[in-house]
Amino acid sequence: MDIANGLRIGALGAAAALLVAGCFGGRPAESGAGGDGPIRIGVSLPLTGDFSEPGKGVQRGYEAWAKHVNDNGGLLGRQVELTILDDQSNADRVAADYEKLINSDGVDLVFGPFSTRLVIPAAQVARDYGFLFVEPAGAAAEVFNQGFDNLFYAAPAVAQDHYNHLAEAILAMPEATRPKTAAYAAMDDPFAQGTANGLKEKLAKAGVRTVVDEVYPPNTTDFGSIAAKIADSRADVVVGGTQYQDAVNLIVALRQLDYQPKLAAFSTAPTNPEFPKAIGAQTEGILSPTGYTPEADYPSNQEFVEFYTREHGTAPTEDEANAWTTGQVVAAAVDAAGCADPSNECQRKMIDWLHGNEVETVVGPLRWDGAGRPQGAHLIQQYVGGKIRIVLPADAKEAELVYPKPAW
Amino acid sequence: MSLVFQSLVLGVLMGGLYALLAAGLTLYFGVMRVVMIAHSAFLVLAAYLAWTFTVHTGLDPMLSLLVTVPLFFVLGVAVQRLLVARLRPATLTMMSVLLTFAVALAVEGALGFVFTGTHRRIPLSYSGARLELFGASVALVKLIAFGLAAVTLVGLHVLLKVTRFGQALRATMQHREAARLLGVDTDRVAGFGFGLGLATAAVGGTALALDSTIYPSLHWHWIGPLMAIIVVGGLGSVAGAAIAALLLGVGQNLLQIPLGTTWAQTFFYAALFVTLILRPQGFFGGRLAQRF
Amino acid sequence: MRSASEKVVKSVGLIVLVAFVVVFPGIASDPFVLSVGVVIISYAVLATAWNFVGGFTGYISLGHAAYSGLGGYATGLLILRAEVNPWVALLLGGVVVAVLAVPVGIAALRVRGASFVIVSIALVLVLLLVFQSWESVTGGSDGLRVPRPFGPEVLRPEQHQRFFYLHAALLAVMLLCWWAIDRSRFGMGLKGIREDEDKARSLGVPTVRYKLAAFVVSAFFTALGGGLYALWFGFLDPIFQFSILVGSNMVLMSLLGGVRSLFGPLVGAVVVGYATEFFKAQYGDTQMHLVAMGVLLAAVVLFLPDGIIPAVRGLVARLRPKQASIREVTQEELAEEVRR
Repeated sequence: MDIANGLRIGALGAAAALLVAGCFGGRPAESGAGGDGPIRIGVSLPLTGDFSEPGKGVQRGYEAWAKHVNDNGGLLGRQVELTILDDQSNADRVAADYEKLINSDGVDLVFGPFSTRLVIPAAQVARDYGFLFVEPAGAAAEVFNQGFDNLFYAAPAVAQDHYNHLAEAILAMPEATRPKTAAYAAMDDPFAQGTANGLKEKLAKAGVRTVVDEVYPPNTTDFGSIAAKIADSRADVVVGGTQYQDAVNLIVALRQLDYQPKLAAFSTAPTNPEFPKAIGAQTEGILSPTGYTPEADYPSNQEFVEFYTREHGTAPTEDEANAWTTGQVVAAAVDAAGCADPSNECQRKMIDWLHGNEVETVVGPLRWDGAGRPQGAHLIQQYVGGKIRIVLPADAKEAELVYPKPAW
Repeated sequence: MSLVFQSLVLGVLMGGLYALLAAGLTLYFGVMRVVMIAHSAFLVLAAYLAWTFTVHTGLDPMLSLLVTVPLFFVLGVAVQRLLVARLRPATLTMMSVLLTFAVALAVEGALGFVFTGTHRRIPLSYSGARLELFGASVALVKLIAFGLAAVTLVGLHVLLKVTRFGQALRATMQHREAARLLGVDTDRVAGFGFGLGLATAAVGGTALALDSTIYPSLHWHWIGPLMAIIVVGGLGSVAGAAIAALLLGVGQNLLQIPLGTTWAQTFFYAALFVTLILRPQGFFGGRLAQRF
Repeated sequence: MRSASEKVVKSVGLIVLVAFVVVFPGIASDPFVLSVGVVIISYAVLATAWNFVGGFTGYISLGHAAYSGLGGYATGLLILRAEVNPWVALLLGGVVVAVLAVPVGIAALRVRGASFVIVSIALVLVLLLVFQSWESVTGGSDGLRVPRPFGPEVLRPEQHQRFFYLHAALLAVMLLCWWAIDRSRFGMGLKGIREDEDKARSLGVPTVRYKLAAFVVSAFFTALGGGLYALWFGFLDPIFQFSILVGSNMVLMSLLGGVRSLFGPLVGAVVVGYATEFFKAQYGDTQMHLVAMGVLLAAVVLFLPDGIIPAVRGLVARLRPKQASIREVTQEELAEEVRR
């Protein structure tokens, strides 16, 4: 050995110290304790990796919201400024990101990330620092079972309740035409599975027999066998607890087996603008729960759709709407509390206010229980004549529910 | 009964694709003793090229093979010449795993960079078309994919058995030093072996893209089953890999009926562990695997 | 025999390193920097644990995430389902994983080279499937929230600080073990296996038992590292626990630092951990970080297969005045040189 280990290690240690001090040690930005500076809002989103597609939608929604607020005089008379980090669809990163936003970047407020799998680690960090945590995605049951009192889900309903209106409609059908059997296929993901399970429980209780109940891992691309099982069961109803690509693959696989259900419902995928492109003309009659429709006549919604369409040239989808709703909820809390700073006192004021009040949003008026569950249900949409139409509930419908569904 | 038969048919169709891909892995292992982790990353790359081709030209994705097969052959030769051949022979097997793993990461990252993480699917007019076969419903796209795999495998077989190059390749696979002494340019043959292996990924990727959505991190999903197949089949044996692929493909599809999708996937790994405990050299392979 | 002056320099270096670890939480400018410190030292723990099998025997496992993930889950499940004290659960978790590693090791070590790597990858993939599906026990895809070992009065920054020291203590124990093994007959036998397994066996080294022992020790420490991280992070999700990327990070770090050096994995972890943060800050919104990792790994494999430490050592040796005599080269290193 020609040079002592220790010397090298010592030098490395010193170099590391310098690097750490030099690069990480940037002073936290002046936190806007009062003052007229902008209100800084931190967000971490999956902009790359497996959840990047919806993550980007949420980003567009947040950015549109911020621009809209700033065009209209800001919050509490201050401009808002977003700091968006990329968590690479990774739980370790999402926690580190909020740690950075709150401590190093010194943001005044935080917004939630996308996907249930990332919401829980992120909410933990926010809670430990006493921050209000309003999130646009993360509807699965266990998000609300963790004892987070700072968390609010900014959409009409938790995953289990997404199909409530559909369940009611099915049970209200006359005995003769009512479906007797149902097949369920759900991705092994807390959100996707939650939607299918919610409907399954309600239908099973009312006597619609479950003939297939399949759960598949998130990375599944071959749906031949699952489709074979469903086709073999000849179930009247097929329900997919799906995200995007799995619904597309499952539908194609079902068609390849010439399985024709009376009713087909899939979560998430049919609300995606890519969906009709991938499925072609065979979308007719497919149902999906949705938390949002651009046609809704809530006052702020018309403003949102107009503003968003002007900025982007297309109407917003559910991801953008959920992000915008998050912005609206936080803005309402800021206005009510009269403050927007990271102090525990201000954050606590906002949290307490949201627990006791209702907020008008683009998805309708929202209120929450103690664990942050919104107290509503999702709309049910259907492809009717090649267009997405709200068919349930009765008071919001734009078209009649088509049943049984045409062949695909 | 009909469900079992249906699953059997689906299993055979899927096994065909597995067999083709495993054949590629076997070639790399045969000529260089390299476990090519990046094989399935290139598979996804080929699928993306097919998708791009169809989206931009509107032509059938299978026509993209005219470009991707030669391209992948050249790429394979380049990977062997520029990367794998530079490793020290003593640690080649271990280090080549890391090296090809690194290549897989780079390919995945580049795909994500160019195509984003969006799930893509080739829009095909015949994606839902099917044929009836003794009461089982067979999707046209799956049949085409199986056909592509079968034709390629037969072609590969003929190439290996009949041509002079094939003889040189087999000689290199069996005993590299001996082949060299007999005047075979083993370096060149090894390069071509890699090229051929990667060309199977081009065919496989196109077949895959016909009937599935694709995304950059999809390749992780393929690595495990393919590795299991080549170990069960016996490392370095093309025929063994093909038999193992068919058996495991059918087994997985049949097990899916009672066990469900997730547990059925563990079948591959169960087969892998059982093979290593009972017969580490594989069930259908030659003596080659014993030493590795 | 080494000269006294070198001994002094060596001790000074060691003291500087220890001093840096001790004062780091104090000089970190905010809790985020501290949390990055915890992540990096956690990686140093995992990489050093990996090196017990990778460095000593030369068997490269790409699947050590299996043991860190199992360690995390074992710790979490013991706390949640059996209400064991968290620290006892951590140790018990390590023991459970070490026991599980015995049959796995027997199956995996029967085969050399290629098959060993394949098994290590397969193990991670199969555990991912099992932990994802076996919802009643593992929490499945909902994940598992691990309760904190400290009461609510310990604020988050304080937690970071405590876990930083806990990781540092574990690292110190592991380094001591490595150092002790390195100097033992057992260590010599293992290195013999690394250089030429057949020759080692013919010289009477009980290769199977030695390999298995190294493998189990490595799994035990990896599980402790995983368990400690789980206690700190507080949430386990199978897709992030049983990830091939985590395992490949351990390999990259160890190789980069140098698998034959005591401090190699630690150096590698600091470099890679820091580079990861740097890349994310610079090129955050693209998938280029994967490309960067791939290129870095390929470069290490192709050009620096022995790692930074030996490379630096070689460089320094060339720059030093010609005072080195044969006495400064140990028997073992000499043998190694010759073998190359």
